[in-house]
Formats: sequence, C-alpha cells, structure tokens
Amino acid sequence: MIGVSLSRWTMSYFAAALLALVAAEVMMAIGYGFPSAALRAPETLILVHMVAIGWLSLLMCGALFQFVPVLVARPLHSNTLPLPTLLLLLAGFAALILGFLQLAGDVDPSPPCFVLAGALLGLGFALVLWNLARTLWAASTRPLPARFVVVGLIGVAATAALGIIFALVFGGATSYGPFVLLMEKGLPLHVIAGLGGWLTFTAIGVSYRLLAMFMLAPELDRTSTKAALRLGAAALGVAVLGGTAAVLLGVDVEFVLLAAGILGLASLALYGADVLHLYRTRKRRNIELNSRMAIPALASLAASVVLTVVLLAFGRLPEHVGAVVFLMAFGWLSGLGLAQLYKIVAFLTWLECYGPVLGKMQTPRVQDLVVEARALKWFRLYFLAVWSGTILLVVGYAPAFQALAALMLVATGGIVTELVRTRRLADVKAVAQLQAGIRKPRLLFSLSHQT
Amino acid sequence: MKEVFANLDVRPILRSGGEPFEKIMETVARLAPGQGLRLLATFKPVPLFSVLGSKGFSHEARELGDGDWEVLFRPTNGASSARSVSAAPAADVSDWPAPVQQLDNRELDPPEPMVRILAATETMKQGEVLSALLCREPIFLIPELAKRGHGWRGGFEPDGKTYRILVRIGTAEGATV
Repeated sequence: MIGVSLSRWTMSYFAAALLALVAAEVMMAIGYGFPSAALRAPETLILVHMVAIGWLSLLMCGALFQFVPVLVARPLHSNTLPLPTLLLLLAGFAALILGFLQLAGDVDPSPPCFVLAGALLGLGFALVLWNLARTLWAASTRPLPARFVVVGLIGVAATAALGIIFALVFGGATSYGPFVLLMEKGLPLHVIAGLGGWLTFTAIGVSYRLLAMFMLAPELDRTSTKAALRLGAAALGVAVLGGTAAVLLGVDVEFVLLAAGILGLASLALYGADVLHLYRTRKRRNIELNSRMAIPALASLAASVVLTVVLLAFGRLPEHVGAVVFLMAFGWLSGLGLAQLYKIVAFLTWLECYGPVLGKMQTPRVQDLVVEARALKWFRLYFLAVWSGTILLVVGYAPAFQALAALMLVATGGIVTELVRTRRLADVKAVAQLQAGIRKPRLLFSLSHQT
Repeated sequence: MKEVFANLDVRPILRSGGEPFEKIMETVARLAPGQGLRLLATFKPVPLFSVLGSKGFSHEARELGDGDWEVLFRPTNGASSARSVSAAPAADVSDWPAPVQQLDNRELDPPEPMVRILAATETMKQGEVLSALLCREPIFLIPELAKRGHGWRGGFEPDGKTYRILVRIGTAEGATV
C-alpha cells in the first residue's frame, strides 16, 4: 500500500501518439495506402504501423506507465526509463517507416533500415515490458484488471517478436527457413497478437477499472470476469502459439484461428455482459463524457465482432478484412483511447497543478478544466465518420472514404484542441488560475512531485 | 523445514452474519515467531491479503468447494513474527487517539474524497486523527499526506468494499512507507 505519483513522461507519449493519429488520418484523407492501395502494399503497411505503433502503442505505453501503478498500488519500477524508452520507440518507428519506403522503392535501399527498426523497436518494447513487469511483479496483490494487462504485455512481446522476424527477413538479414515461412504465412498471427492480444486485451483490463472508478460502480471480481480473462488468454495462446506451430509444421492455419476465434468470441461476450453490468450498477446517474463516449467505442467492438462473424459465415472475410480492422482500430481502440484521454489529461493536469494546494485554498474541480458540451460534438462527428467509413469500405467506394477520413481528421483536430486547452488551463476561471503557489503545467511533460 | 500453522475457522462467524476481522487480528497477534495462520472462510478474503501482507505475511489461497476457501498465511523472511513489524500502516492502531472527525466519502466520485480529506486536515490540530471511509484505495492521496507530514494508516474493512483511512496530523515519522 504505497501512494502513486504522476508519471512525468506520460504527456509526451500522448503528444507523440496524437501526432501519429493525425498523420494517419491525413494519409487516409489524401488516399495514401489502403483502400487506395492493396492490403499488403508498402503504403498500407506504413499507414497500418502509423496507427498500430505510432498512435495506439505509444498511447497505451504512456497510459500504462501512469496506470499500472494505480492498478497494483505500487510505484513504477523506474521513473527514469520511460524517456529513453520513448526515444528508442520513436527512432525504431522512424526506421520502420523508412524500411517500408525502401520496400516501395521510394528511398535508397542500401541502409539496413529494417534491421535497425527491429533492433530499436525490440529494445524499446523490451524496456516497456521490463518496467511494467517489474512493477506488476513487485505488487502484493494483482487485481483482475492487472491480470488483463499481464496478458496484454505477453501479447506485445509476441507481436514484437514476430514483427522483428518479419523485419529481418524483409531487410535481407536472414534467410533462415522457419523465419521465411513465418514471414510468408504468419501475418495474421502478428495482427492478432497486436490488435487482439496487446491492444484490445490491455484496453479491456484498463476499461474495467476506469469505468468502475468514474461511474462509482463496484469493482468486478465476478466469475464472468475471471472467465473472460481465461478464455481470452486461451484464445490468444491458441492463435499465436498454435498458429506459429501450424505455420512451421505446414498445417493449415485457418482451423487453429477458427478455434481461437470461438474462444475469443466467448471471452468478448462475457466482457460485454460485464460492461453492461457496470453501467447498470453504477451509483452515478449522470456520467461524464469519458464514460459516455466509451459506449460508442464498446459498440464498435461489438459491431466488429458481429461483422467478422457475418463475413465469415458468407465466406467474404478475406476481401473485407480491411473494413473489420478499420472498425477495430478507429471505432473501438481509438474511440476508447480518445474518450479516456479526455478524462486522463484533465485529471493528471488537475492533480499536477492543484494537488499541492488542495485544502489550503479554493481550487477548481477536475470538471472545471474541461467544457464537455464543446468536446461532445467532436466525438459525435468522429464516431459518425468512423462508422460511415466502415460501411463505405465494405461496399468498396474509396473516394467517399477519403472524404470521411477528412471528417475524422477534423473531429480529431477538435478533440486535440480540447486536450491542449485542458493542459493549458484555458477554460479555468482566471482567478483560480493565477493564485499563488499554482504551477502552470507544461504541455509535454509533468512537473511531477516525485521525491 | 516443518511449517507450523495456527488454525482459525471463521466460517461459523460469517455464516451467523458476524464480523471475524477482530478475531483474526487477535489470532495473528498471538502467533509464535515463524508461525503461520491457516484460515478457513466462506469467501476468498482478498482484503486480508494486503492487511496481513503489510504485517509481513505471504498468502496462498485455495478454493475448497462450496465457495469455501483455505488461506495459508506464512511469515516471510525479515518478519519472523507479526509483532516485529512496527512501521507498517495499521499495525498499532491502539496508540492513536480516537478520531475527532469522521468523513464518509464512499458516494463521492474521484477526486472529491481526496479534496475533502485534505481540506479537513488543514483545519485540524497537531496529533488529531481523522477517519474517512472510501470506496477505493486513495493512492493519489497518500503521497500528498506524506508531503504534508501527516501519518496515515489504511486498509479495507472485512466487507472488502469499504476502505478506511486514518490520518494523524503532523506525525509522519515512521508511519508512512
């Protein structure tokens, strides 16, 4: 039972992540990558990794450095590591983009960008894992949300391992038979480990705790929650380990993935039931924007599951897998991420600014740092654009999709503006802002009171 | 090494609607050096894990069926008996005076409980104790209390849902971690 202080570099992770999200939306709006290019074209790979590493992974890492200590009531193992970790991840990410550009023939092919990307990203994610795993390891109790995060961390390890193998083969650093085999057939495993294991599983764990906390609902320790954890972990184990084994043994991967899919479906159904339970048993009738905007994100997760099952039933999944991934990445993960960012940025800024003077003088409430009515319209526009975009991808009309991507960009710009205003205390009444003893927060890092 | 456990079955107390917490703490206080506790309960007593953890016990929980649980609390190295741990919060509640203020913050949304507790501590005198009920561990509050030089002790009540924190004004030495 120890207190938790602010994670100094979490805001830097968030800022870098949001820049990547904006960059990805610009790409989609100008028609760079899928759906204008093929699913496996280098342009699409750049777009996909801009979203998966640049936006979602950096967002998740920054959030976890602040959030894992809260989950297990232990301080972060190292407060020094997050900055070099961020720099390694950014350098590795840049090298990866250059590698894909080499693949596309857009830049000089001689520097070994893929090998460099594999090394830098591998080291970066290893430091993320080390720091968070040591924090989790040192805790005396690990509540259920923390165990979801543990599985998520195993997911990022698997994703990175497969990604590094791909990068080494792409970069021509190895022609080791099993690696080449994995490169050819293992792409679905990389996507499942990343999107399902690392991002979705971690988001589920974090959402259990955040939704309970901000809606004053009882913490879930139900049989269904435990079953969701076990079934989900089993699904990922079957998909990634079983899938890798199948690829290496030359067995058909599809049956393994089908078995994993059934387990995953059961896990997500239990999670859905739990979330409904949380919203129903909440003590706060009027919930804040972050909990309200989690609803369309959760609906997007449910919709992407339904869409997958329907497409699978009609045998059309392979041609529409792009639409499913789009809905997962932008409706579910990005939607939930943006909604929770809206609260997390306000809360951390409030704590950083007013924590030291609480009780000693009149301070604003957390809600005084934000103007929900103004943010709400951006969130509405965002989800509307994502859902319409998904439908257009299914029916396959690329030009209109670009227009909707531009709308997403506008909406994201609106939300980012709100976050910057929150960070700058722009909406706090002048009196409260200028009182003595209050430090104006920096945009990109926290002046945390670490002792 | 042969392990020695004191046995305590609190299932009858729980089934009759009673609170076994005091009985458990009494039993723990009477343990010989190196001795552990074997506890039988009608649910998995998660809150006890951190309470006894802060007194230097590791735990191993096993479901017995019908919802019953057996938990083995073992003294870990560096804490040969429960009595040797003095710095842990909630270890020696007896020498703190009775609280002069009580707050029930269970129905407030975060961070209002923290705001109220810190506001209350500003109005109290040196050595006075505040008691507050919360619905979660106040982990952002604790560094703030430590910085202001207040002592604190906290833990979940036996119901596993209510967290009680005691704050003693201006007596931080030895009380915080």
